[in-house]
Amino acid sequence: MKEFKYVINDPMGLHARPAGQLVKAVAGYASTVTLIAPTGKADAKRLMAVMRLAAKQGMELTVQVDGSDEEKAAAELKAFLEANL
Amino acid sequence: MGLLKKLFGKPLDELTAPVAGNAVPVSQVPDPTFAEELLGKGIAIEPTEGKIFAPCDGTVDMMFETGHAVSLVADFGAEILIHVGLETVSLKGKHFTIHAANGDKVKKGDLLIEFDLDAIKAEGFNTITPMLVCNSADYNTFKTNVGKAVTNNDVVIELSK
Repeated sequence: MKEFKYVINDPMGLHARPAGQLVKAVAGYASTVTLIAPTGKADAKRLMAVMRLAAKQGMELTVQVDGSDEEKAAAELKAFLEANL
Repeated sequence: MGLLKKLFGKPLDELTAPVAGNAVPVSQVPDPTFAEELLGKGIAIEPTEGKIFAPCDGTVDMMFETGHAVSLVADFGAEILIHVGLETVSLKGKHFTIHAANGDKVKKGDLLIEFDLDAIKAEGFNTITPMLVCNSADYNTFKTNVGKAVTNNDVVIELSK
């Protein structure tokens, strides 16, 4: 399993559209991706679960990537978060 | 409706329009996040009234504190996202009044959100309101009724597993 932390930088937080973009980015990986926030834990392939985190600017997310493509998925997800959130 | 029920052998589950207005295909939403249906199939409404109603019996899953979006889980299992307008998150709750909270049990037609349609338009926002079924991939039948004016009593999506 690969794990990294990311602090949300977007002033609007993880609202519906970026949550959707994240789910879309994660959908293509074989790995399981889990987001852990102070507000809860979410399967990143499930939009409803990701939105339920209600993650705001300044909140730290722990991203866990577990599976056959975890190296690639973790690196790409980190880049996605830095570019979009 | 009656004919469809006969064809499919069991009644289809239904979602009514979340807001009164003109129902259009979700592909007409000028935001690829919704239009490409990657987050789920759905419809969109160009609202003529600033009231969002529950499209079915269910539970409020996530009422955004800004009031610009709400997700619900239908009693029959559909995961529904209603997003009022585009980019409206940036209003930070201005022009929106919330009438339901996370975890609330709601009935079809219950008022969830009120919004000042004219004020939101005047600030330059597109008020088109997509309603998506996030787990639409779980449904074999997914029929939309669009291309017409609707009220919150009109069925806009029929679906079954």
